[in-house]
Amino acid sequence: MNKKQMKEGIELIDAHFKGEGISRRDAMKLFGTSGAAALLATGATTTPVQASEAKGKIVIVGGGLAGMSTAARFTNSLDNPDITVIEPADMATSYQPGQTLVGAGIWEGSAVDYKTADFVPSGVTLIKEKAVEFDPDKNTVTTASGKKIGYDYLVVAAGLKLDFGKIEGLGITETITTRGDDKAVRKVVGKNGISSIYFANGAIDTWANMQQFVDKAKSGKKVKGIFTHPNTPIKCGGAPKKIMYLTDARLREAGARDNAELMFYPNGSKMFGVSEYHNAIQRQFEARDMKWNYRHNLVAVDTEKKVATFNKHWKQKGAWDEDLEEYGIEMKNEKVEVPFDFLHITPPMKAAEEIGSSPIGSSKGWVPVNKETLQHVKYKNVFALGDIAAVPMGKTGGSARKQYKVVVDNVIAMMEGKSELPSKYAGYTVCPLITSIGTVMLAEFNWTKKPTPSFPLDPTQERWIWWLLKVYALKPMTQYGMLSGRA
Amino acid sequence: MKKLNLILLSVGAVFALTGCNDGPTGEKITYAKSAQEVYDQSCKKCHGANGEGNTEKKAPALNDRQAGELELDLYDVKNGGTNQSSGTDHDIMEHNMKKLIDKGYDYDPKAMALYIEKSFFKMPSPEDTEEETPATEEAPATTETPTTEEANATR
Repeated sequence: MNKKQMKEGIELIDAHFKGEGISRRDAMKLFGTSGAAALLATGATTTPVQASEAKGKIVIVGGGLAGMSTAARFTNSLDNPDITVIEPADMATSYQPGQTLVGAGIWEGSAVDYKTADFVPSGVTLIKEKAVEFDPDKNTVTTASGKKIGYDYLVVAAGLKLDFGKIEGLGITETITTRGDDKAVRKVVGKNGISSIYFANGAIDTWANMQQFVDKAKSGKKVKGIFTHPNTPIKCGGAPKKIMYLTDARLREAGARDNAELMFYPNGSKMFGVSEYHNAIQRQFEARDMKWNYRHNLVAVDTEKKVATFNKHWKQKGAWDEDLEEYGIEMKNEKVEVPFDFLHITPPMKAAEEIGSSPIGSSKGWVPVNKETLQHVKYKNVFALGDIAAVPMGKTGGSARKQYKVVVDNVIAMMEGKSELPSKYAGYTVCPLITSIGTVMLAEFNWTKKPTPSFPLDPTQERWIWWLLKVYALKPMTQYGMLSGRA
Repeated sequence: MKKLNLILLSVGAVFALTGCNDGPTGEKITYAKSAQEVYDQSCKKCHGANGEGNTEKKAPALNDRQAGELELDLYDVKNGGTNQSSGTDHDIMEHNMKKLIDKGYDYDPKAMALYIEKSFFKMPSPEDTEEETPATEEAPATTETPTTEEANATR
């Protein structure tokens, strides 16, 4: 780190606290100075003022970041909590945002591992099984072993499945989760330069592949790295780009950047839904000689020959549309084959089949909820949050950090017999976009599709302090602040 | 090193504390036409008098979803897809929507979703499990159609 960056950091923080009407020194006193973890775990933030005496049996499906934080906050907020979490995985509360850093060799694989058992709030019943049947008319959930569990309120936070099977040629037929059994996928993805940071072991294999790729470039060979983004909603929409930025950084570090061509192939036609960030990212790509080719969806991979096939699609002027009183458009597409040395796959994603096709699912699989109150559109005592909720732009840990408080407030209001749901989610999402080793652009935004920065700074700039936030501060904030139901 | 810890701690604190009380933001937009007017004057041409859709015009049915779900779909179309680089599976409607907005048929997705549900929603019956567009014959209003009161409760 250099002095200039340090000075910038301090100035920024002082400016912020000045805006809040307190000095940095006082702020530090207020929060304690014994390390970010301790600070955030002490819960100076948003612990409910008063515990509620409301009663009701709450069942939470899924014990990942969203589900377990919800369980913790219910525990803190109720006098007599009756909470059951249904979660089969041993490592469900692992720190998934760190997988990008693992994939680029900045963290060890073990740095993201956290055992579910260590994060079960006291008093909460954990059922280590999968929920396979949902009967919202009778208020019951059935587990894989046939155990029927009744509830007054159901919170669905089951995350999502990675659907590598949609890509032909990989020989994968089953869907996997990020932290579950990944044998079916790992036998193909992780070898021959084919990589994916979207499952934990895949991130470890990505780093091995990336090193080989960099070595090859260093040896003087011309190499090609390609990075995909599918046509489904995905969790952490920035990760497909982050791993590309980090590949670029590793190549530069090795002095081998000139021998590598890096190309981003997204299905969509934008870098980002928020135009300010879209423009900033395109500028960053140009500055690094990172290329992009929009409207390409990965549909097949030849693992032996190392060739990826994309469905390239585009719009063209169609016939006169009498109803529209304009020319319409029509869609065209063709298959495009691209050879690669290194391929980073962001797989198609979907809700678990047993939930998506159940009465609480929808035609698209995601659990449809009111996007503000997070209450199910059909069943008033069912709520959903996190990756499985059909909420626009919402599949990040940063969204879940806002959503779990909304769910808890609204369920408690219902338990207390209130007719209005008091709490509303405004679509906040954060994407700490890693742009190199040492810089991050902190892209915060909500449904207004405008930047919503927490700091009084130009949010489209890459900064070293955000790198510190991403690499050092966010993990303790998440694992100790959020998972204890406080921050 | 001490200074570094200080920065870390401060940045973390600021980040954890800000935005915790952010309600829905954004300025209120007023629309020239009501949801019903927009539907009758525009949407109806392709999506049908009862939201039943029209396969020939590739217009999907709108009467098979409740307001909450429909609102998300309308929101997605109006906003040009809502995932960073995933794109959208309704390129054509996105194009059309832009043209229609230019022609003055802008609307609030929530109001439109509630209007469509209130007016046309029919609970899928177990018999028509096939994914076909409902036949054109006038479907009798089912008793399952939620009352206005229920529709409003989703707000």
